[in-house]
Amino acid sequence: MGDLIKEALSIGWPLLALLAGLLVYSQISISDAAAKKRATFKLSIGMLAAFILLIAIAHYETSFYGANRLLPVSLVLVTSMCFMLGIYFPNQAALLKIGGFMFLVAAGLSGYGNWLPQVEGGFPPKEEKIQFESMSAQQLADEGEKIIFGGIGQNKVQGAIGKGQCPLCHAFHKGMLGERAPNLDGLPERAAKERLVDPKYSQGKPLAREYAQKESFPGAGTAENGQEYIAESHSCPSCYVVAGYGVKGTNDKESPMPAIHKPPISLSLPELAAVDTWFYIREGRDAPTYEEIIKTYEKFIPEADRPKQLDDKAAGPPSALLADGTEPVDQIFSKAQCVACHTIPGIPGAVGTIGPKLEEGTNAPLRFKSPDYKGGATTTPDYIMESIVSPSAYVVKSFPDNTMPKVFGQKLSAGALKKIVDYLSQVKVGAPPPKIS
Amino acid sequence: MGLVAGKKLFSIMALCAMIGLLLLPIAVSLPSLAMGADAPDAVKKDGEAKVEKGRDVYYKTEGIVVGAPAPKTVDGPRDYPRYNFESRVLLWFANQQHLYYGSFVLAVPIFCMVIEFMGVVTKDKTMAKRYDQLAHDFIKISLTAYSLTAVLGGILIFTFLTLYPAFFGYLSSIFRPVMHVYALMFVAESGTLYIYYYGWDKMTEGFLKWIHLSMSVVLNVIGTLLMFLANSWIGFMMSPAGVDEQGRYLGNIWHVIHTALWNPLNVHRILGNMAFGGGVVAAYAAYKFLASKTDEDRAHYDWMGYIAMALGVAFLIPLPFAGYWLMREVYAYRQQMGITLMGGLLAWLFIIQATMIGILFLSTNYYLWQALGRMRGAEKYQRYIKYLVFVLCCGYLVFITPHTIVMSPAELKAMGGQQHPVLGNYGVMSAKNGGINVIITTTILSFVWYMRGNKVSTVSWSKFGNIFMGVFFGCAYFNIIGLAVLGYYIPANVRVGLSVPQVATTLSCLFFMFALNSFMMKGAKQMGAIEWGKISARSQYALIMLATAFTWMMGLMGYIRSSVRLFWHVNEIMRDNSPWAYTHTVGFAANMISFNVLFFWVSILFVFWLGSLGIKKAPVEAKEGVLGGTPQPAGGH
Repeated sequence: MGDLIKEALSIGWPLLALLAGLLVYSQISISDAAAKKRATFKLSIGMLAAFILLIAIAHYETSFYGANRLLPVSLVLVTSMCFMLGIYFPNQAALLKIGGFMFLVAAGLSGYGNWLPQVEGGFPPKEEKIQFESMSAQQLADEGEKIIFGGIGQNKVQGAIGKGQCPLCHAFHKGMLGERAPNLDGLPERAAKERLVDPKYSQGKPLAREYAQKESFPGAGTAENGQEYIAESHSCPSCYVVAGYGVKGTNDKESPMPAIHKPPISLSLPELAAVDTWFYIREGRDAPTYEEIIKTYEKFIPEADRPKQLDDKAAGPPSALLADGTEPVDQIFSKAQCVACHTIPGIPGAVGTIGPKLEEGTNAPLRFKSPDYKGGATTTPDYIMESIVSPSAYVVKSFPDNTMPKVFGQKLSAGALKKIVDYLSQVKVGAPPPKIS
Repeated sequence: MGLVAGKKLFSIMALCAMIGLLLLPIAVSLPSLAMGADAPDAVKKDGEAKVEKGRDVYYKTEGIVVGAPAPKTVDGPRDYPRYNFESRVLLWFANQQHLYYGSFVLAVPIFCMVIEFMGVVTKDKTMAKRYDQLAHDFIKISLTAYSLTAVLGGILIFTFLTLYPAFFGYLSSIFRPVMHVYALMFVAESGTLYIYYYGWDKMTEGFLKWIHLSMSVVLNVIGTLLMFLANSWIGFMMSPAGVDEQGRYLGNIWHVIHTALWNPLNVHRILGNMAFGGGVVAAYAAYKFLASKTDEDRAHYDWMGYIAMALGVAFLIPLPFAGYWLMREVYAYRQQMGITLMGGLLAWLFIIQATMIGILFLSTNYYLWQALGRMRGAEKYQRYIKYLVFVLCCGYLVFITPHTIVMSPAELKAMGGQQHPVLGNYGVMSAKNGGINVIITTTILSFVWYMRGNKVSTVSWSKFGNIFMGVFFGCAYFNIIGLAVLGYYIPANVRVGLSVPQVATTLSCLFFMFALNSFMMKGAKQMGAIEWGKISARSQYALIMLATAFTWMMGLMGYIRSSVRLFWHVNEIMRDNSPWAYTHTVGFAANMISFNVLFFWVSILFVFWLGSLGIKKAPVEAKEGVLGGTPQPAGGH
């Protein structure tokens, strides 16, 4: 309070001095006792009101940007000043009262705004245009590792996932389990030596293929070398499916993998060049040049479909959430790639069979009541939440453990998790699926 | 006779001058618009191969690139020169003040047109004179505010040029022809306004009066076009069109103007300006009423306040529907933008907005109930007011109940879920729509009671009419509330559609009940006179509350509309790289809005005071008729 008074005086001492001067002057110049008394009274009130006003201004000024939620107090002070002056200056009473009332209304509304939970939109992600084309092979590979795993040196960290989201399904090192998608260890060599010569790949004869898609786009043809094979498998996963990794029920004719240049992942061609360079460099091989890799992608991705490299768009940091919870639940399922492994009634495209069908309204109570269950859930929502954040707590029979990533607790916001739980709790066997919200 | 012919000639010339002024910007702009089409030719002259085509980000059409890409700004003195203060706040202040004054001076001529028209068509000569004088008083206030609007516009442009030169440079490169037309429109608006105001006393009777009235139409056409052009800039910033992904202008100026949100913004702003103008004039009348020393003055300003309030509320009622349309278009344009507004970062501001709308309607109803007190014979309605209070409060509480709000994991944990433990799943949109429709329907009912306050219908079918009205209102409430409850039992995507029958019910009440009531009250027996001026001082504070709350809400909605772009100067085209590219807290925004509101009101009270200096010198005849006849306000009395 002392500081506030000091600040108020420093702002408005001339005004107070003027009023004090007028007070002195009135004492000297007015001879009529009644008039002198009236002037003394009015000027005293004026000084008091001016002081309140100065306190209000000082209070407002010192906490203009601060987290102090008492700013409306300043406005209430002004209100009381206005009403006080209105009493002693009857000619302007209407104006002062109206002014005071307006300050009171503003104080109430301002106070309401300060009383509500304070949500502040943070700064946008730093604009960072990466010049892929001028990087050395190692720099390009480092960027590739960031895109795949979220950081340099993260490729052996369990659960590390970057913007590309590849580790959700693929394994990258010898001996690591890759139930949903092939292990990519040794890919550059295998691509040319095994895949291209596979009769099912039908090199040079795309129309002879028996897969869901014959070629990436009409006229794109098939790959001529290992790098082109990698580019084609990124841009057209269903042009060739490695045996055993197709969508269940399609006889390996269709791949569960999304086209990597399309939403929700939408990697640009330079980003894909960085990813591919990492495949080579980490195995100690010479990578094709940046331009050569770009050309292989241009062969399989038509110009209209090529996503622009994020320059002035907000590029999410590597550790950004997969979904923040503001999206409809079907988008959350899609962004988190749940649809690639699970069949989820009511969610378009969720026909995965790597994991169990998610009819948790029916299944969850049976599971957490089962004698085999060792987890801690006692309700359906708890069980679903546990299955997401700690998938190994209970593994459904006939499905292997350690297939589902354990990172969703960190990669999905609380709101997104809640939406998933809400939705899945309502999915029941034989009942129509719940509405998407 | 010669004098009349001279006046006639003068007025026809004045009208022609106005129409000429109206057409001037179009005539002048034609070459400049054509220049835009020439530009590709110029490119061609440099070399056929240099013609580059781009794809319109909104219309998806191809066009020849004729503009430079949107600049990629960097934080520094070149793109963001600054004082030792947040530039965004300075711009916010300058912009908001200009908008307040701009809205006021655009709304008042529409009022004048309506009031002058009422004066021309009314058969009661005393009333005609009073309406005419009232319209004249309004335009006089607006004239002082007009120059302030221009000054604030200048301050706004200087603020843009000095603090955001790169952004303003880009915007003006796209809107170059539009900005020139805008400036010419402003000249036309000024010229028309001066001819309209200074020609008032020369065109008072018969044909001349009709010509004068026509001038007000021309004035409002110019004013509305002026606002549409200004709206095209903000529409472009929110939902750009006519440019390619890099922000390069593709030569089609109509695409740049006619963006996804332009139409709903225009409608929303016209209605908003009118309601705001009504609020300001009502506050002026309230101030004069409270400051009046004589019964005559009190009667005059009581009447003026009532008319301003009635006009303001007439435009306030459809405003939520226009807002609904705007939001629908926002969702159609970018769903994420809609979510940021209604269910994301800015959702709490919409809770404040709902509170404000409730305050506006509660204030209006309170004023009307107070106004019943100046009518003899209206006592019979007083005992029912408590039920209206109850209905309004219920509607209000439902309306401000949030459903889902973005929250942090900690808040989610503290609350135990996405929904509040007490409120549960309440507050879905159909229920909220039910709440606001109940409030609006109750306001309509209050108006109907007010309109028939001191009258008894003499038509032969009055009993049937009364029963029909009662049943109609009862069914309306039943339908609105029933649909609100039904919303909890049907899927979300079906629930959204319930707003249509709810709104239709409310609008049916508005149009059918007002019309039916007017028929019933034709030639009705008066139980007693309306004693203008015999209204409580509290009612005038309700008007001031209405005006302040509306000003505050306008500031709030402007802030919401602007901040939804987040860190974009032009959405998805030109990024804001200043140090202020984040969204303030709700509390800071509320403080800033309060500051803007109070600054506006302090300055406009000064304008009122200036206006009162002129009125003091006005001829005494302005007050004629106050004692003799009872003024009859719009809407049935």
